[in-house]
Amino acid sequence: MAKVVKIALAGEGGQGVQSVAEILTEAANEEGKEALYIPNFGVEQRGGVSIAFVQISDKEKVGSPKFEKADIVIALSDRAIRRCAQYVDGNTVFVYDTFIEGVEDDLPKGAKKVIGIPAIDTAKNELHPRVFNIIIMGAVVRATHVVSEERAKQALEDKLGYKFEQDPKLRELNYRALERGMQLVEGQL
Amino acid sequence: MADKPIQGEKRMFMTGNEVCAYAALAAGVDIMYGYPITPQNEIMHYWTRLAPKHNRSFLQTEDEISAGFTTCGGVLSGKRAFTATAGPGNTLMQEPMSMAEMMRIPAVFIIQQRGGPSTATVIYSQQEVTMTCYGANGEGLRVVYSTANHQELYDYTIKAFNTAWKYRFPTFVLGDGYQAKMRESLTMYDPELRGIKMVDTYPLVGLPGKAGADRDPAHLRNTYNTEEELYEVVKELVATYEKFAPEIVEHTTMECDDAEVVILCHGIVSRAAVEAIRELRADGVKAGMFRPITLRPFPAEPLRNVVQKAKKLLIVESAEGQFARLALPSLYGLTTPMETIFKPGQGITSDEIVKKIKAMA
Repeated sequence: MAKVVKIALAGEGGQGVQSVAEILTEAANEEGKEALYIPNFGVEQRGGVSIAFVQISDKEKVGSPKFEKADIVIALSDRAIRRCAQYVDGNTVFVYDTFIEGVEDDLPKGAKKVIGIPAIDTAKNELHPRVFNIIIMGAVVRATHVVSEERAKQALEDKLGYKFEQDPKLRELNYRALERGMQLVEGQL
Repeated sequence: MADKPIQGEKRMFMTGNEVCAYAALAAGVDIMYGYPITPQNEIMHYWTRLAPKHNRSFLQTEDEISAGFTTCGGVLSGKRAFTATAGPGNTLMQEPMSMAEMMRIPAVFIIQQRGGPSTATVIYSQQEVTMTCYGANGEGLRVVYSTANHQELYDYTIKAFNTAWKYRFPTFVLGDGYQAKMRESLTMYDPELRGIKMVDTYPLVGLPGKAGADRDPAHLRNTYNTEEELYEVVKELVATYEKFAPEIVEHTTMECDDAEVVILCHGIVSRAAVEAIRELRADGVKAGMFRPITLRPFPAEPLRNVVQKAKKLLIVESAEGQFARLALPSLYGLTTPMETIFKPGQGITSDEIVKKIKAMA
């Protein structure tokens, strides 16, 4: 049976989890894998927790667009942490941002691993708030290996190339964000 | 219509709504009539972006009743025309749809089901099955294709125009909110390269020559004065529909030959079933799947043959038995034990199906 990696990315509207999902699945598609991405598009679209359901398979078409339990959950706000508890079981790696306060009791107990990363902090103080979601993308890429680093960079180029042309510094900033994201989860897995 | 918007074959990665717009373009559609409603909005959005580049047209109407009727009007004038809607829009559009049945208007409707009743959710369901197959006053003389993935959205959107124009019954592509909004891969192609010839369209009214002298009048009626008159017309419509049904009907099966438990499902739910069967087979459980692709006409005989051989039947759908009600008449008289997973307006995963079948065994 083909291995399908199931990822739930959850954050507040505006944190960019949907664009991460889009770039990531397009990268996987470009690599010849079967990818499926569906946004949670209920009332959350208009303020609330925004979730992206992503599945990437080596070859076979992915089944139903949503799933019960994820291999990796990335939750980027207190509400997202609570909302995503339902997707966690003993095989799930749960990643949250250490910037979020007062959630100690809400972190899932039965997860395979719970990892805190300072993504918001890194974006704010080291890079730029705009590339916060690319840091997250880096974390997903390293935690799941669903696409290679090169392909992830290519996908950024495909998506944002027209902006990079105008300001080459942006390319460097995005690449650095991707690498930093990968470093943040490295060693914690 | 000289240009070819889709050249050769191409692997794409996009949303289902986008796929529908491209498929309509590839099918040589002249005009879309539409009114926005979630989750099908982007069919309109993409069409309005693509159409001007390829010399096609679009008309936004004041509501869905109007979108349905203008689609019928466009078709009467000889245009390859379609509209798309969902949920409450589907409800409103039933009136023009039933007129299309009565007047044999080959209009194409794309439905991306959402949760009901009424406005309910903007997301997903399989709750528009009864309405799409049998809505409005009349006998449901329609063709309804229920798709499961983006490739099928593309294939059957193209096919719907040919079915409609060949048989002259209104034809539906029944997707859902998940298919509309999710992104996955598919291969787009120029239909001609695959040997698909688009059936010619022609005006059904306003023909040249003098009616009654040079040609028969194009007398398309939607109103009848007496019971007897209507009875005769409808009986003939039904007979024509039933004559064509064997040519139109489609279904697919998976591992049914030795299946002890047969999963009966349609549309996107079948993807969960396929995954579940792979898992169950790996565990030594003999499960199979029967999936109608046309919900109207319904593949009654092949279903009966499969269920007859099985020990158990499991009907799975994201509605409270709408699909089961379509299927059960074909199984009349059989004693195969049956269980169901009915989840109105909610998606179904392979895990649920696996769990259920293991509990049934």
